[in-house]
Amino acid sequence: MKLFTRKEQAEDQAGAAEEVTPARTVSAFLTAFGKRDVEAALSVVDDAVRVDIHPTGLREGGSADLRAFLTETATAFPDLLVTVKNLIETGSVVTAELKVEGTQAAGYLGAINQEKHLDVDQAWRFTVSGDRVTAVDAYWCQNQLYRRLAVKRLDQISLV
Amino acid sequence: MTTTEPRSRSREAADQVTAFFDAYRRHEVDAMTDLCADNADFFYVPFEVWGKQRVLRGDGKVKTVGKTIWVGLIASFPDLFTDVHSVEANDTGDVVVTCDIGGSQQLAWGAAEPRGQKFSEPHLFIFHVDGDGLIDRISAYWDGAGINRQLGHLEVD
Repeated sequence: MKLFTRKEQAEDQAGAAEEVTPARTVSAFLTAFGKRDVEAALSVVDDAVRVDIHPTGLREGGSADLRAFLTETATAFPDLLVTVKNLIETGSVVTAELKVEGTQAAGYLGAINQEKHLDVDQAWRFTVSGDRVTAVDAYWCQNQLYRRLAVKRLDQISLV
Repeated sequence: MTTTEPRSRSREAADQVTAFFDAYRRHEVDAMTDLCADNADFFYVPFEVWGKQRVLRGDGKVKTVGKTIWVGLIASFPDLFTDVHSVEANDTGDVVVTCDIGGSQQLAWGAAEPRGQKFSEPHLFIFHVDGDGLIDRISAYWDGAGINRQLGHLEVD
């Protein structure tokens, strides 16, 4: 019979709590994104990450592209709110349904700042290896985004 | 004597969703909805039609809103195709699918008048399959602006 000390039990529980799972890695990314902390978000992203942000036309981009997108979003929406509505882990793939909200304070994806409120439902699909995100695919409707930001035409995004 | 391994919940869920896309590829809307529970929820998130008094959204039930949208979509794009790239499932019945959907426009679709243009756009679908093996939730995401640009419809309506 083996007896466990309180200290050993506490260490076991702490170890279990810190277990790295794909969902935890993605949660860390999204939590940091919601706090507009781009560096913290990128700290769980592999340097060789593959990034597809479909609404912006970005295909097979990399870490620098992801940094640029996150920075532009954090800058344009100082009151950014990212609400994760559903997080689904399917093996090494984690899919998040989320809502992005904020009040525009700077140009964003070509749309000039008219101080409009943005709320767009999105889905992000992450591939995770170990404790690093190795691929990101982001989906949302740019028509909805432009409509919220008072853009009138897709060929004149910067015109009011 | 032969024995058959019981299929895992994730395998069953993935197979059900694969059958759904097989029916979609054949344009068999009734077969698509037969794979869903009677009260299955339906969320085509980008689907918004803005009128003067109200906004119609692609939210509701598969067998009402979903069926109507699929029938209309296939009528507007008679050569509609679905090209599935990945199907991932887990043991709680969640299934995530990436695919391209596209076709050539023959009739109006939303505010987009038919100009004979084609589109092909990446989509992400999230399904949930219940314990009886029926799809009880469908959510889908895509970029409507990407489709509209390809169809030559440039107004943000």
